[in-house]
Order: sequence, then structure tokens, then C-alpha cells
Amino acid sequence: MTLVQVVIGGLLLGAVYALFSSGLTLIWGMMNVVNFAHGDFVMLGMYTGVVVWTALGGGPWASVPMAAILIATLGVISYFFLVRHIMKGPMLAQILGTFGLALFLRYGALYVFGANFKSLPDNLVGHSFVLGGIRFEGSRVLAAAVGLGVTLALHLILTRTAIGSRMLAVSEDATAAQLMGIRPQRMQALAWAMAGAATGIAGALMALFLPISPTAGESLAIVAFVTVSFGGFGSVTGALVAGLLIGVVESLSAYLIGPIYKEVIVYALFVLVLWFRPQGLMGKT
Amino acid sequence: MLKTTRQAVLAGAALIAFGFAADAGAQQTVKIGAVYPLSGNSASTGNYAKMAFEMGADIINNGDPELAKIFPLAKGGGLPGLKGAKIQMVIADNQGTPQAGANQTLRLITEEKVAALICCYQSAITVTASAVAEKYGVPFLNAESVAANLTERGFKWFFRTTPVAADFATAYLSFLKEQKAAGKKVDSIAIVHENTEYGNSVSSVISDAFTKGGLSVSMKVPYGANGPDVQPQVLQLKEKNPDVVIFISYTQDAILYAKTMKELNWKPAILIADDGGFNDPAFTKQMGPVTEGLISRSVFAQGKPGSVAAMMDALYKKKTGGDGLDDVSARVLQGFFVVADAINRAGSVEPAKVQAALKATDLKPDQLIAGYDGVKFDDKGQNILASTLVTQLKSSNYVAVWPKARATDPLVLPYKGW
Amino acid sequence: MNARRIVPLALLVLALIYPVLTMESAVYQRMGALVLLAAIGASAWNIVGGYAGQVSVGHAVFFGIGAYSSVVAFVHVGLPPIVGAPLGVAVSVGLAALIGVPTLRLSGHYFSMATIAVGELVRVMVSTSDFLGGAQGLGGPPMPRTVLDLSFLSAMPYYYIFLVVLGVVLGVTWGIERGRMGFYLRAIKDSERAARSLGVSAGRYKLYAYMLSAGFASVAGSLYLCMFGFIDPESGFGILLSVKMVVMAALGGAGQLFGPLVGALILVPLEELSNSYLGGQGAGITYVVYGAIIVMIARFLPSGLLSLFERKPAPVKPTEPTSAAEGGHAD
Repeated sequence: MTLVQVVIGGLLLGAVYALFSSGLTLIWGMMNVVNFAHGDFVMLGMYTGVVVWTALGGGPWASVPMAAILIATLGVISYFFLVRHIMKGPMLAQILGTFGLALFLRYGALYVFGANFKSLPDNLVGHSFVLGGIRFEGSRVLAAAVGLGVTLALHLILTRTAIGSRMLAVSEDATAAQLMGIRPQRMQALAWAMAGAATGIAGALMALFLPISPTAGESLAIVAFVTVSFGGFGSVTGALVAGLLIGVVESLSAYLIGPIYKEVIVYALFVLVLWFRPQGLMGKT
Repeated sequence: MLKTTRQAVLAGAALIAFGFAADAGAQQTVKIGAVYPLSGNSASTGNYAKMAFEMGADIINNGDPELAKIFPLAKGGGLPGLKGAKIQMVIADNQGTPQAGANQTLRLITEEKVAALICCYQSAITVTASAVAEKYGVPFLNAESVAANLTERGFKWFFRTTPVAADFATAYLSFLKEQKAAGKKVDSIAIVHENTEYGNSVSSVISDAFTKGGLSVSMKVPYGANGPDVQPQVLQLKEKNPDVVIFISYTQDAILYAKTMKELNWKPAILIADDGGFNDPAFTKQMGPVTEGLISRSVFAQGKPGSVAAMMDALYKKKTGGDGLDDVSARVLQGFFVVADAINRAGSVEPAKVQAALKATDLKPDQLIAGYDGVKFDDKGQNILASTLVTQLKSSNYVAVWPKARATDPLVLPYKGW
Repeated sequence: MNARRIVPLALLVLALIYPVLTMESAVYQRMGALVLLAAIGASAWNIVGGYAGQVSVGHAVFFGIGAYSSVVAFVHVGLPPIVGAPLGVAVSVGLAALIGVPTLRLSGHYFSMATIAVGELVRVMVSTSDFLGGAQGLGGPPMPRTVLDLSFLSAMPYYYIFLVVLGVVLGVTWGIERGRMGFYLRAIKDSERAARSLGVSAGRYKLYAYMLSAGFASVAGSLYLCMFGFIDPESGFGILLSVKMVVMAALGGAGQLFGPLVGALILVPLEELSNSYLGGQGAGITYVVYGAIIVMIARFLPSGLLSLFERKPAPVKPTEPTSAAEGGHAD
């Protein structure tokens, strides 16, 4: 029974990993840009949750849309001011620019919100419930459910809608797309908006069960990088599968072997997967 | 071009320095340097420390009439031993890295010409920063790093007021043995610790001391700090169901452990939450009833109303806007007053005289903010009268429950929680 | 005068007059040494990251190995730390071969991510090793025993040592740049497929570059240990350290001989000065300023500062769009 609880916990965690990685993988796939500030976007989404609660008394129903809008705006601003320009340079310019952005956002948050940890009251979503002997934490279930929903929505937008096929056209070949009357910059800005919205939602939901500090994004970014490349760059469903897998492997190895080894096992597994599938689990060559 | 840039930078630096030292001509100022983590993962602690320093300097420079009745340095008007020289704190950011800590220490010594240094919170940074001070021959006081080897390096300018990890271990050991004698079950003990310097060093010292002292640590669970989920660890604990659990964690994990134990509805009879994250106001103030009855250690306990500690606590609350002194801020403030007292007695900012005065330090408990038995350094620079109290969290405040002589409140077992 | 010659000449003059300029300031002397140390690390990275175009974001692994080898030589054998440097180089080069064979096959960002993972893997493993001092880290000689311990009051001896080492690293890089290997690496960077079709053994040359780069990064780590006398997993293997090597090289100009040095010349003083004059207020203003400046440089000079000195504005190299089509695909 405990083992089932461990696996369920891992799945819930993994869905959250997938949720906050989906924005990263979208950008990565669309324009081959790796956003080193991604973790800090998540962190700002978390702070949105805190501000909405402390200033307005609003729960996730208010903070999630608010964070989606705010971080989407931030994404679009980053795109027009920074990313659009660094894409013209070598790949290293991306690391340079987005790393600078990460520091700016992280310590801007420190300046505005202070260094102290914040946490939201844990009854905002309702308490945990027991189902078939397994205990579920309300806020984590909500985050995981939304995570699945957002992933599915992104997947459907990309594969089933006209706007999605235009975005894909731009990612395949921007020049050709332009000849077909698609404006690449507009599509790329849209991708940043969608990625920002997904990331903001992730942050606002994670704020419900994780303590928040300006450096919260640092370790999350590494998890997101691993999740995204594990799943295959640009593959939203790949990120979901990888997220769930990482969540379960972390949970199981923490329980069975010891929590200190869970990262070692995940990283080793990741390197091993790349050895056999250099394009990630669901990436295309 | 580069030369002019450099000159401009130096000129700017001089301007800044000049701005601070503008009234130096009229009255001597004594500069004390402090290198603390104002950014990085421990920024929260560093900023509380900064407020403690500012408050300490303010007490000496501007005085506090109430406190002055029992605490001579609070008369105001600066340090009497130096004809009323005011204290100026020069606080620098160690950014949480040994490199920045050493660099800033060098700057405070050579450019700010500080009379003494108080540094650095993290043991790793204390190592590199104190090595710089040692080479320059500037008194260096460490108020909160607990790694034992810091005082084993043969340094002549290094002083440490805080108890070390072994002192905490001894306190826990005696405390638990007393509980055993009183009929409580302490047969199986689990230590859950984060795997950076703090958790690693404290846990290994505790388990060594326990094994030697006849208590057995049946389970050790190291984990990587600041993860998003701790359920597997708590499930492990729930399954083994130890009598005593000792957590050594930073704030984020402390909050997650408390939440998750409540979620999974499991609690041990004795829950020791070693300082660290469990002492953070973000934990004690925001977590509600989950925290009720946690046992921790602290050098600080408010003590009786009207005592130095209680009055300092009230002043600190005013300074921070509500957060009272805790284990770390009390140790920081204590370190500051030890240095201020030594400079005052030295009657000079000359390093050798301050060093000699520090060596001659002999403070009595009623003059202390921290609950030490006094402050008196041995040849290695360690405060031999440093000690720690075992505390318990009652309605969001830690109160001293052990040793009996110093307890202000009765111990309540088992751990109450939710 | 030819713009290409101005930069090296200016750097050389600066390196020589810097000790004179800073005679009175221990802080600026130390800053000079730190710039050189950072430049050694970033120049080492430049060999594989800049010239071969394989963006390693895990180079701290080799830096850390160098630092730990040195400290182990002292703690477990009692030797002066610098004696451990050759061991560090050997281990680093060996490990680079071990890591490089599987990961260098990966394209673009996959390689970067794999190096991040390896870096984190090593960091966690070191922090659980008692032999290496665990998470608490290990300290070098607290007091210098002989001059061989390389523990000095003044930063100037470090300055000269680092200058010589940097000279060696740059000299070797220069040799590569002009030689056959440099030609191959450039071909691989431009298009690995094309290079292969011309008969260049891409895998082998990438691996050589990676191993060489690892060896030099390890030396930087050993030197760091001598100067600071202490190492722990975070300051040896932290991801920030890896990222900073990349950032420094990219800021100056990756794949250019003096790019990393120029980057270090900007970033290290920026970091030190902003921390010295803004850090004490707390609240992280230091990094807000530092981050904003990096963003501005990336925004306006994406190919690095040295691109300012090129005759024309840096031509946009169309390497990315092609790899975007290869590597990235949204489903």
C-alpha cells in the first residue's frame, strides 16, 4: 500500500514537472531557444500567487489566470526586447542573454519581495482526501490535473488548429513560412505568450504547496531542462511522459534507496537514455 | 582609456567612502566589518543579521535609557573607552560563496580599514574569510559557524563565540537521556538531514555523540535540500515509526516536512527540529498548529522580563517589525557586543590591542543576549562558556524547557502537532 | 593600425602595466588575479565550446576535479596542493574521454543538457563522499608551510602565476587555431555533416578538443584551491560556475582567442565592484545591475564584445536556423 502511495506521489509530482516544463519545451521546439530564465518565470508565477492572496485575498481561481496573463506578457516583452535579437547571433548569445535575464528577474524579486520565504495557507484548495486507502493532497492533485489539461491543450493547439500549423510552419522554415504569408515574428511572439501563460499557471499552482523564495527557480530550471531534453525538445507530449517518469523514478528511488540518491539516479537515467536515443524519448531526428 | 576608467572607479569609491566618513574629523568613528549572506540561498538569514548589527550600533551610538540601567554600553554617545567614538558597521555581501566572502573581507580590511571583522554565518565562507584576516592580522570574530575544525587551525586572530555542533549533540544527548530516565521511550532514533554542509556536519556529530553516549541512531536519512516533494522520506519514517525523529533542514524543507507529516497523519512522540529552517519566522509564524510542541535548540530564550535578553528582544522586534530575536540573530547580536566590548576595553582600534582585549574577555551571563554561561575564550579562540538550550515551540514562540535551571516553561510531551 | 592587432596589443600592455597601476590597492591587485583566473577557466572552455562549437554547460566538473585533486594531495598525503594539479589534469582528461564518447554524439542543446546532468551527478556524488570531505568540503594548508604551498598575503604572486598559465593556454589555443586541428574544428562547427563528408573525423577531433579543454579547466581549479585554500561541492561543481565560464567567453566573443579574457575583464570587475559598492545594502541590487548589463550586451552585441572590432558588423552566421530545423520540432 505504501508503495502505491509512493507511486501516486511520484505521478502527481511528475505531472507538475510536466506542467512547468511545457512552456520551455514549446519555445525550445518552436525556435530552438533555450531559456535559462525559465525557472525564474516559474518563480514569478509563484509570487503572483502570493501577491494575489496577500493583497486581494484571492485563491487560485484568481491567481492562476492573473499569473497566466502576467507571465505571458513577460514572455512577449522578453521576446520583442531580447530573444528576437539574440536569435540573430550564435547559440551562445541565448545562454548569455537569458542567463542575464534570469539574474535580473531573480534578484529583482529579491529586491521587491525580500528574501524571506512566503507560503500560502494550505486550506486554499481544500484539504487532502483519502481514496482507496491512498491519501491525496488537494493542492497537488489540482496542480497535476491542470498540468495534464494544459499539456493536452498545448498539444491540441499545435496539432489540430490553424494557428498551430502556422506556428509549426515557422519552426520548420521561417523563410518559407513568410513566403506563404505567415509572419514569423508574430507566431514566435505567440509561442512566447503561450509558453509564458503555461509557466505562469504552473507557478501559481505550485505556490499552493511549495514555499516561495526568490531563488526558488534555480533548482526548478534544472529539473525542467532535464525533463524537456529527456522527452525530446519541442515535444509537449514527450515532456509529459518524461515528467511523469522522472516523478515516479524520483519518488521510488527516494523511498526504496534513499532520498539522497534520487537525483543521481535521475541524472544517470537521463544520460543513459540519451546514449540510446540521442533525440530524447519522443523527439524526432 | 582603461586607466581613466579605473581612476573614475577609484574616485567614485573614495566619494562613497568619504560620504560615510564625513564627520570623522569631528569625532572618531570605529569601523567594524561584517560579511554576511545578503544574497543567495541564505539571504533571509543575512538580512536578519544585518538588522541585528544596525540595532547594536544604534544602541551604542544613541543609547537606550531603559537598557542603560543594566547594560553599560547602552548609555549612548559611542564607546566610552574611546572618548565617545561612534561605531560604524560596514556590512558586505558574501553572496553565499567562499570566494566572495574572502574578497569582501580583503576589501573591508584594506580599504575600509575596519578595526575588527564579524563573519560569516556559513562555515565554508568563514574558512576562506578568516584566512585573509589572519594573514593581515585583524581580529576576526565568528558568531555562528559550528564546524569544529575552524578553531583547530592555529589561528591567532580568530575568535568564536558560538557553541559548536558537538555542544548541540551533547545537549540533545543529555536531554534525551533525561527523558529516558523519566520513562519516555527513546529506543529508536531517526535523523533526517539535508545534505549540504549544515545538515551533514550536524548529523554526523550527533550520531557519533549518541553512539558514544549509549543511544542508538537506528536510521539516517540524508536528502538533497530544497526539493519539491518529501513524501517518500515521511513514508519511510511512518513505516519504521521511530520514537524520536531529529530533522536538520533549511526553511523550504522544514515547511514541506511539517505539511507532509500532517498530510500523512504521522508524528513521532518526540520531534526534534534542529534550529535551521525550523527557527525561521516563515516557519514558526506561518505554519500554524502543526508546529506546536516541536523541540529545538536555541542559544536564545527571552528570559525574564527586564533582563538584557528580553529588552534586546523587544528592541529587535521594533527594528524588524515584529520578528523577535531567534537563535541566529541572537548569536549575531552577541558577537557584535563581544567585539564592541573588546574595542571599548582596548581603548584603541589597534589590532594587537583589540586582540589582547578579546583574549581577556570575560562576560557574565546577565550581560548576555545569548543564553551562554558567559563569554571567555580559550587559546584556540573558542568561547568555552558557550552553551545551548533546548527549546520547545509553544503558540509560535520557542521557550526554554531544558536544562531545568534555565527553563522558563515546562516540557510538554508527546509532540502535539495538529 | 590593423584592428585585429589592437586588441592583443592593448591586452598585453594592460597586463604589464596593471601591477604598476594597482601598486597601492590590495583589492585591485586581487581583482587582477581573479580576472586572469576566470580567463584561464573560460579560455579552457573556449577550446571546446567556442572553437568546436560544443557548448558544455558542465565544465565546472573539471574545475572541481582540479581543485579537489589539489586539496586531496594536501589532506591525504600532506603534499603542497599544487602537486595535485597533474593528477587533476589526468583525471579530468580521462573523465572527459569517458563523458565525451557518449555525449559528443549529441547535437546542439542535447549535448549542453547532458553536460549539465553530468555536472550535477558529480556534484551530488562528491557531496556524499567522506574521502572528499562530503558536503563540508576540504581545506588546504591553513598556514603556508613552505613557499610551495603557494599561499601568499599579496595577490601579486598569483597574478604572475596566473598570467603565465593563461599565456600557455592561449598559446596552445593559438597553435590549434592556426593548425590543422583548428581548421577541422571550424569545419565541424560550421556543419558537422559537411565536415564528415569531407573526411574529417569529427568525433575524434571534438573529443580531442574536449579533453584538452578539460585539462586546462582542471588547472584553473587547482590554482583556485591554492589561492582560496578551501573547496566544497558547491564552489567546485556548482552549475553557476559552469554557466559563468560560458557567459564570459560568449560575452567577449566565443571562438576567438582573446574573447574569454575580454569577457573576464568585463565580468569579474563588474561583479566585484557592484558587490563592493551595492552589495552591503542587501536586497540583491548587485545582481540586478549585473544581470541587466549582461542582457544589454547580449541584446546589442550577440556575438560578443570583440565583434565591435571586426571590420563589418558581424555577419549573421546561418548555423542556427539549420540546426533548428534538425533539432527542434514541435509536435
